[in-house]
Amino acid sequence: MCPVDPLRRNAVTVTGSPDGVPVVFVHGFGCDQGMWRHVAPAFEATHPVVTLDHVGAGGSDTSGYDRERYSSLQAYADDLVEVLAASGLPPVVLVGHSVSATIGALAAIARPEVVRQLVMVAPNPRFVDDDGYRGGFGADEVDELLETMEGNHLGWSADIAPVIMGAPDRPELGEELTRSFCRTDPTIARDFARVTFLSDHRADLAHVPVPTLVLQCSDDALAPLEVGAFVHDQLPDSELVVLAATGHCPNLSAPAELVGVLRAHLDRG
Amino acid sequence: MSAPDDWTAAPCGLLVLDPAGTVVRVNDQLLAWAGRPAADVVDRVRFGDLLSVGGRLYWETHLAPRLQLEGRLQEISVELRSPDGRVPVLLSAAVVPGSGHVRVALHGARDRVRFERELRAAREQAQHAVDRLSTLQAVTWGLSRATGVREVVEAVLTAATGPLGAATAAVWTSVEGHLQLHSARGEGPVPAPSAPDLAAGPAPRSADGRFEVPLPGAAGFPGVLVLAGVDPVPDTDVLAAVAQQAGLALDRARLHEQSAGVAHALQHAMLAVHPPVDPRYAVGATYRAGVEMLEVGGDWYDVFLVGPGTLGVVVGDVVGRGLVAASAMGQLRSAVRAVSEPGAGPATALTRLDRFVEQVPTAQMATVAYAELDLATGVLRYACAGHPPPLLLPADGPDHYLWGGRSTPLGAVVEGVPRTGTSLQLRAGDRVLLYTDGLVERRDRGLDEGMAALALAAEQVRGRSLGDTTEAVTAVMLQGEVVSDDVCALLLRWSGPPQQGGVAASG
Repeated sequence: MCPVDPLRRNAVTVTGSPDGVPVVFVHGFGCDQGMWRHVAPAFEATHPVVTLDHVGAGGSDTSGYDRERYSSLQAYADDLVEVLAASGLPPVVLVGHSVSATIGALAAIARPEVVRQLVMVAPNPRFVDDDGYRGGFGADEVDELLETMEGNHLGWSADIAPVIMGAPDRPELGEELTRSFCRTDPTIARDFARVTFLSDHRADLAHVPVPTLVLQCSDDALAPLEVGAFVHDQLPDSELVVLAATGHCPNLSAPAELVGVLRAHLDRG
Repeated sequence: MSAPDDWTAAPCGLLVLDPAGTVVRVNDQLLAWAGRPAADVVDRVRFGDLLSVGGRLYWETHLAPRLQLEGRLQEISVELRSPDGRVPVLLSAAVVPGSGHVRVALHGARDRVRFERELRAAREQAQHAVDRLSTLQAVTWGLSRATGVREVVEAVLTAATGPLGAATAAVWTSVEGHLQLHSARGEGPVPAPSAPDLAAGPAPRSADGRFEVPLPGAAGFPGVLVLAGVDPVPDTDVLAAVAQQAGLALDRARLHEQSAGVAHALQHAMLAVHPPVDPRYAVGATYRAGVEMLEVGGDWYDVFLVGPGTLGVVVGDVVGRGLVAASAMGQLRSAVRAVSEPGAGPATALTRLDRFVEQVPTAQMATVAYAELDLATGVLRYACAGHPPPLLLPADGPDHYLWGGRSTPLGAVVEGVPRTGTSLQLRAGDRVLLYTDGLVERRDRGLDEGMAALALAAEQVRGRSLGDTTEAVTAVMLQGEVVSDDVCALLLRWSGPPQQGGVAASG
């Protein structure tokens, strides 16, 4: 087997200042590193900034994709650990959105020495309701979800090459970026959906060995308020901030608020 | 009450969302699809809440972010929740510059979804046909290479636990009307047929998650295939087609084995050798039938008295296989005895055999090593017609091949070139090995190498009894080989005149 270059496999981008604590942004399900385009640049003056694509998303190399290996979130966490090791950076602040908040937690558990702090944006360790826990989806809904993922094949395919439309209110966005935004491999996206929405990592939270900031949105269909409180409660060392932002993607819908909270947190050390 | 405006009455679903995604305006068609009054929706729900589970997730993780970045979405397939199930729609949306509100238009897509479903079904069907064909091809290929019952059964089991997807499979074959287990493959208990015989009918039967497939032969059912732990559930047409082929192959293999059995019995009878009893010599012989093919070969050996005090030994090889070769071998073997005559010698015997094979074309091109030993003097006269040279194993001294007395195979006479023979004085305890080419010929090495290996093997087993020696040499030479050809080896030892006493070497 050829040795894999994790930086290439995960289309890792490193920008920003050579000084300061490195900040690593990891996108969640359904998108790619373009998800951070309004957030990551805000830290480039003061920190090394790293963004990357999970295998199957954006510019990642899917040639090594193995369905069996990627049938658990641990594989994505292992990829992340490999990226951190290959980047040669000192211990980082790991910012994970949605399922990648969980992936970040697994990476921190596996290699605490490379993760200085964890930031979980709209985390949800278990999307399915379970005996007193309200994760956002009823068990009956998950089957419907997976069925839809299978049936919606043409929808996903159409999205691989979306019609290019300008973004009139943000003319600074180059067409190149627009074109590649949220590009996903439909087959891998389906597998990723399955592992994302069927995994249960609630029990892992208690083992996260690093200080963690939990950012919860006000009205998030995929991560109800109680989930943020639950995550905060389970983590050994955490702080919970409820954002005014609504929806599941504050990095796009309310980047200014997210940047402000992150900046204050980083400045506190 | 005024008539509804065009927006409200438009024949597609229309909505306006505020920047947070909350529905702030909705038209009649959308409310009709959602099956909810406007008061339940406007300012009450976020757009995602109107969608099916998959649609909601797609919206929250992918579509809303894209909308935020790109300003619009076009013709995305999603589903609305409705009291009667899900309503497939195509979604287009655009952000209103300045306000950040979002205009959404939903177009009913039942027909498109149906069309896509049909397309998918057609594609699955085509894939299914391809899978079915490749399964049948794999089975046919396996069966076409199988000649014996055992090989046919192995091919069936390979298909059953491979393309047919069984965790465990067993073939039961009919023996005098009753089913007996022939072979099984896979983990777990061997699946047995539900009845001791299968007079019930030719259709595959399934019960308790098992499949029973009779393998129909030309007359009755020569066997039944039983599958267990089948995943996915196999196509019954494919099963039936596999069964049809396997049944015929089993039938064919049985007939073949029966005729091969007759040939083997015939060969065995013809090879029965009763060497004359005499203390002045000893012989040992080994015969290995080729196992790769069921057909008998044409190798033979013989030991007989040519006349008083003269022993004839012969090893020969008739071209071809099967009953024809076996019967030619039988005739030639008798002919060697008939043409040998005291005082005539091997060369004369070969000349007479040339005339004999003119009458028996199937014996033409046979090769023969023929030797006559004078039991009193130890003089060995020999001749080889196209046959590998005998190997002399002296009581003391190095082995060597006997390259004298060579001529062409029987019937391949060169005009004006007579058959030749030669002679050799044996000393007491000397041994001579006659053999057929199956002992030394391999696809992957030359004859020279094979003969060198034979000399080495004979050296290695020096000191054993005659029968042991031929067995041991054969074992060494055939080690790791699938014996496809017959192999015959005969070792003759001259013990010396008994009255000289004590000279004879042991065994």
